[in-house]
Order: sequence, then structure tokens, then C-alpha cells
Amino acid sequence: MAAPLPEAAFVAAGPPPPLPSLVSSRKLRTQRLGRTLRLWIPAGLLLALLALCFVWPLVYHIPSSTNGNIINADAPPLSPGAWLGTDQNGVDEFSQLVYGGQVSFEVFIAVTAIGMVLGSCIGIIAGYFGGWVDAVLSRVLDILIAFPALVLALAIAEGLGPSEFHVILAISVFSIPAFGRVTRGATLVLRELPFMVAARLAGARRWRIILRHIVPNILPGILTFSLLGIGIVIILEGALDFLGYGVPPPTATIGAMIANGQQTMTVTPEYVLIPSIFLLLVVVSVNMLGDALRERWGVQ
Amino acid sequence: MALVQQIQLQGDSGARGSARRLAGSPALRLVGRRLLAAIPVLIGVTFLTFSVMNALPNDTAQAILGLQASPAAVAALNHTLGLDQPFFTQYWHWLSHVLQGNLGTSVQGASVNHELAVHLPVTLELLAYALLVPLLFSIIVAVLAARKPNGLMDRFSLAVSMLGLSIAPYAFAFILIVVFAVKLQWFPVISGSVGTTPVSFLKATTLPAAAIGFPLFAIYTRLLRGDLVEQMQREDYIVTAKAKGVPPWRVLIRHALRNSLFTLITVVGLNLGGLIGAVAIIETVFTVPGIGQDLLTGISNRDVPLIEAIVLVFAIMTVLGNLLADLAYAVLDPRIRYGRSTS
Repeated sequence: MAAPLPEAAFVAAGPPPPLPSLVSSRKLRTQRLGRTLRLWIPAGLLLALLALCFVWPLVYHIPSSTNGNIINADAPPLSPGAWLGTDQNGVDEFSQLVYGGQVSFEVFIAVTAIGMVLGSCIGIIAGYFGGWVDAVLSRVLDILIAFPALVLALAIAEGLGPSEFHVILAISVFSIPAFGRVTRGATLVLRELPFMVAARLAGARRWRIILRHIVPNILPGILTFSLLGIGIVIILEGALDFLGYGVPPPTATIGAMIANGQQTMTVTPEYVLIPSIFLLLVVVSVNMLGDALRERWGVQ
Repeated sequence: MALVQQIQLQGDSGARGSARRLAGSPALRLVGRRLLAAIPVLIGVTFLTFSVMNALPNDTAQAILGLQASPAAVAALNHTLGLDQPFFTQYWHWLSHVLQGNLGTSVQGASVNHELAVHLPVTLELLAYALLVPLLFSIIVAVLAARKPNGLMDRFSLAVSMLGLSIAPYAFAFILIVVFAVKLQWFPVISGSVGTTPVSFLKATTLPAAAIGFPLFAIYTRLLRGDLVEQMQREDYIVTAKAKGVPPWRVLIRHALRNSLFTLITVVGLNLGGLIGAVAIIETVFTVPGIGQDLLTGISNRDVPLIEAIVLVFAIMTVLGNLLADLAYAVLDPRIRYGRSTS
């Protein structure tokens, strides 16, 4: 929830690491293997979780995630017919997890896409044009960042009524300034580099410079930043559901599962643990993927 | 580090003209400039909150009086609360009162000043606990980890901080409750009040503080460890210090850590205002009677004066956090302290 917002944290990749001298080829090979694994293990885990949420219910028949029979209520995990058990109302935990996971994935993909596109546009314009454009846009971003996201999200949910679209809207409002600030910092650094001056001297138009020189150069940084931000988005979405302002019931959500489980937490902690662990797995894999890409692309 | 350069530039100009030097130390001038720059941000944030809350379907009076209330009674109450006035008049009214130190009356009828006086200290104590202890731990862990990159301690610290970054605070809070309050019974499940004696304070606030502090610990540790490792590998003064024969521990703590603290302090300052969300959720989970819980009830009651006051408090905290970070720079960096650049 509390994420550092680095001003120009990436782009300026440091000097290349000193050449590894006197390193055995075996050690080099292990290093390379480690790098590959660090990238593909979280990527594979993330793909597996995505498949579990979106493909599994298409291929296999799973019980309803909204209706259950009270006769089957409170089945412990590993019971027949419901391998993760059922909740107080007899609703299958596993199908709640699958459909709740769908909501989480949809929200973070939408929020990240909106934040990345709009935020980057604002950031590039502010950073590239400078002057009063930058001054105005930066103040707006400052205010949006100082504005507590939770208040806005809750107010949107209260005012417009809870729905998945409104959740996306609410969280986007807070992801846009984060992207904006980071892109602005990156663009400012790029603007002074020799190849930019060369492009300007060669008479390239502004939009061409932005599209051909700025965007490709800041893209890796923005992508890794977005991966690190996804964890925050997922946790925030869960928080809204948890507080009852998120995606409304009967749709299953991870946050609502945790909130429901809380009532019987002392007797059956697994109702809190199972969705928490699922959430943790998603966020850990996204964060580790972000780290691996950062290492690979040399972004800081 | 742009800030450092900015301060250096200020320091240069201060050294140039003696008339300018009379205007005070560079640190003091920096404080003044920062406070001035904060005013538009504070106004913007409160105005935005006001607009958002006003854009909601406005049924504050209806909510207080109940659904059976006659339209006349609702209109009368709206008039008493000042909700029938134009939007800008309402905001101006609120702002002028705040400048006189009066935060208004909440829709429940209580004075917001009083509400804050009771609940703000609780939150501040909790936050101080949740901020300082993780900070201390993260410095220790990061130094131990950076002593031997890729060593056992380093891997352990990376794993723990990845866990802290990825876990949802509310989920972590429940795990804490199940383990420490229910199974081990070391702490109460519900905080209720933070108590008056140090022991009761620790008992009531350790779990909420841990739930807020663990993610912070993760962020700080990761940041500091990364910075330390990079410095130890890249910076010339580290090589110089090593070549002089300074013991490794001393290099790490006196040379590298001292510099890395700058980054850490900036992030701590930046994070301060963003803690509002975590505070609101964790206070609700543990029923700590602080302003975070007030914020949630305020939103469901459409209690604009109360929400405004709390948002203002956190916006001021953001501003002060950044300011304190700048001042800490001045204390840590002799170039700023003496108001001139040595380089």
C-alpha cells in the first residue's frame, strides 16, 4: 500500500558491471542458469495461476461459486467433492478462489493498462515539453499523489455503487499519477542525452522523437514498474472487497473470502489462510517477475 | 540526489553574498521554501476531497433523520448544516474556519477538533511504533545482509522482504491474530484502547503495529540492502577506504551506511502520507480507536468535515515527512550543514 515513488529511479542504468575475470566456465553456466530460473519460475507460476482461473473452469466442471447447499457447509479441506472445503454457507472454496482470482486478474490488468497508457502520456508530455506545461501537470500529479487513494476509492464505490468497473476506475485514479511521475522523471533524463539532441538537430518532428526515441527507451522501465505496482493493485482491490466497497456479492472475490473467513477465524483459520495464500502467490510471482526483468533489462 | 545538488546550489549562492547569508542558514531557507510550496498542495488535496464528497448523491441530512423524515425537516437540517449553499461558498466557509483553527462540526454533532484531540494521539502513537521499530530492524538486517552479498543472511533477508512486500496487510493481520492472540494468547485480539501504562500500550498496539510495520520493514530492508551492496561494489571512496586498511565493518557502517541512509530517509518521508490506507484497515481490524477507523465511518456517514480533517492531517504528515527528510539530510551531510559545497 505504501509504495515508494522513485522520481527518476530507472532509465539511468549504471555503468556496466566489471567484466568477470578469472571466473570458471562452470560458474558462468550456473549464473546463467540462475538468471533463467529467476525469470521463468515466477513467469510459469503466474501463467499457471492465470490458467487455473480462466481455463480450468472452461475445461472442468466446478461447483458454483455463489450458491451452495447449507447441508454441505463447513466441510474441511480435502473432503470429497470439495478439495478445499466449503464455507459457512456450503459454497465451494475452490470455485470461489477460481472466480475470485478472475476478478483480481481482470482488475489488475485493466488498472495497469489504464494507468500505463494515460499516466505515460501525461508523464511524457510533462517531461518532454517542460516549462509551464510541466509545472501545471506536475502540480496535478503532486495533488493526486498526496490525495489518499482509499478515500477516493471508497467515495467512488459509495457514490456510484459498488461494481467491478467502479473498482477499476477508483484504483486507476491512483495508478495514473504514479505512472505519470515515473515517466516524467525518465523522460527528463532522456531529454538531455546526446541522441535526443541529435534527433532534434536532424529536424525530426516532436511526435516522431517521442514515438521513436522516448517511448522505446522508457518502455522497459515502465513495464517493470507496472509489474511492481501490480502487487499493490491486487492488495488494494482485496482491501476494497474486504471493507465491503469492492465488487458486490454474490460475485466471489478474494477479499470478501478473507472477510467472511474472519468471522470464524479462531475455529477454522483455513478460510482466511487459503485465500491469503492464493493472493500471496500471485503477488510474489508478479514481484519476482518484475525483479527478474529489471535485472535482465538493466533497469534500476 | 537531485535534491542534494539543489541544496548545494543554494549553499553556493549563500556563500557568495553576505547579505544573503543574513537571511538564515540554507536549511532554514529550505524549510521556508518547502512550507510555501506545500500550501497549494494542501489546498488542492482538501479541495479535491471536498469535490469528491460533494459529487456523491447528497443525502447526509436524510441519513441522519432516517427515511421517514419529511422533506421539510430534511431541508431544514440541510440548511443548519450549511449543505444548501453553493459548492464554493461551502468550501470557502470550511477553509476560513480551518485557518482559524476550527475544523467544524461533524454530522454527528460532535466537534471535529475534539474528535481529533481524542483519536489522533492514538494513531500517532501507533504509527510511531509501526515506523520506528521496523526502521531499526531494517537497518540492522540490511547491514548484516550487505556484509556478504548472496550469503546466507542476504538470501534470508531477500526472502523475508519479498514476503513482506507481497502479503496483504489485512491477511497478515489475521495470521497475527490467530497465532499470537488466539493460540499463544500473548496479546488481546481487540485493542479497544491503547492504555496508559507502557505495558498496556505494548500489549494493545504490538499486533497492529506489526501488521502495519512488516510491509514497511520489507520496503526499507530491500531498498537499503540494494543501495549498500551497490555502493560497496561501485564507489571509489569505498575502494579508498578499503585500501587504507579500514576494517570491513567500519567501511560498511561509517562509509556506506551513512550515504545509504539518504535514500532510506527520502522513502520514509515519502511513505508517511500513504500510510493512511493501511492505518484505516488495520485500525478497523483491531478496533483501535484512532482516526483511521474514523475515516471509514466518516465515509459511510458522508461526514465531510470529519473526512476533510483526517485527509488534511495525513496531507500535512506527507509534507512534514518530506521536510523532516530534508532536514535529516542537512544533519547527515556536512556540506549542507555548513552551507557550502566542499566539492
